[in-house]
Amino acid sequence: MIVAAPFPRNSTVRRLGRAKDLLCQDLDQKLTLAAVAREAALSPGQFIRAFKAVFGQTPHQVRIEARLELAKRLLISGSMPVTDVCVTVGFASLGTFSHLFTRRIGLSPTAFQREARTLVQVPGTLPPKLYPGCLTLMWHWPADINFREARRPGF
Amino acid sequence: MSLKIKLTSVMVDDQDKALKFYTEVLGFTPCRDFEVGGGFRWITVVAPEGHPDVELALEPNANPAGRTFQSALFQQNIPATAFEVEDVEAEHRRLKALGVVFTMTPMQMGPVKIAVFADTCGNLIQIYQPPE
Repeated sequence: MIVAAPFPRNSTVRRLGRAKDLLCQDLDQKLTLAAVAREAALSPGQFIRAFKAVFGQTPHQVRIEARLELAKRLLISGSMPVTDVCVTVGFASLGTFSHLFTRRIGLSPTAFQREARTLVQVPGTLPPKLYPGCLTLMWHWPADINFREARRPGF
Repeated sequence: MSLKIKLTSVMVDDQDKALKFYTEVLGFTPCRDFEVGGGFRWITVVAPEGHPDVELALEPNANPAGRTFQSALFQQNIPATAFEVEDVEAEHRRLKALGVVFTMTPMQMGPVKIAVFADTCGNLIQIYQPPE
């Protein structure tokens, strides 16, 4: 039962949402914290605290994530060298880009691009293996795993 | 007709963060969790109360189209989904004490009382208390 409710047109949460979108745009450009905080009509300190409370990540982390996601798409396209991808998504250092990409994706940019090239891709779409939908994930369902047997260690 | 609803999903921007929030903060119980390649996992949780075989998948919101959709819902204050609770006021107090940000404090809307909070994964989630 989802009920529509009145919502202030310019609420802080709406402005934080817009600020998040801003953090995910123009990734090769320098974007200051003060500029994004202004979008949310908050001081930089208030903005970081409010943003983290609502989205669970700092604005900086969100921008890095967005850069890595764009890097994935560019690498999948297959025509751009890793060094160019690094610059295009806004990283000044190839070492930093490679380190962050590997830590996040689990493969180095080069290995990721090599793997993506082996996938059959329909023009205008993204490979479902790399951008899975819910049902695509379920294709990987292990046949020998039963209900509640797939818990990760620690649970 | 043997159709059953056993699975529903919510799109999340980070599966690790989502698992932590949905289990440690909301109180869901981990159910399935295994790697599916590409840095993604198939993660489901179940509600501590209610039907134990109805799973909620924490689905990676990797597709750019999905992100656009999620962001638009968020900015229009449209909850991605809703969970039933016995006492909205009590749940609001409990979650607020854990640092959860509410965009709507408990409010009577016709026969139900609702509240809305951010799940830290890009969604607004509604909790509702049905009429007695």
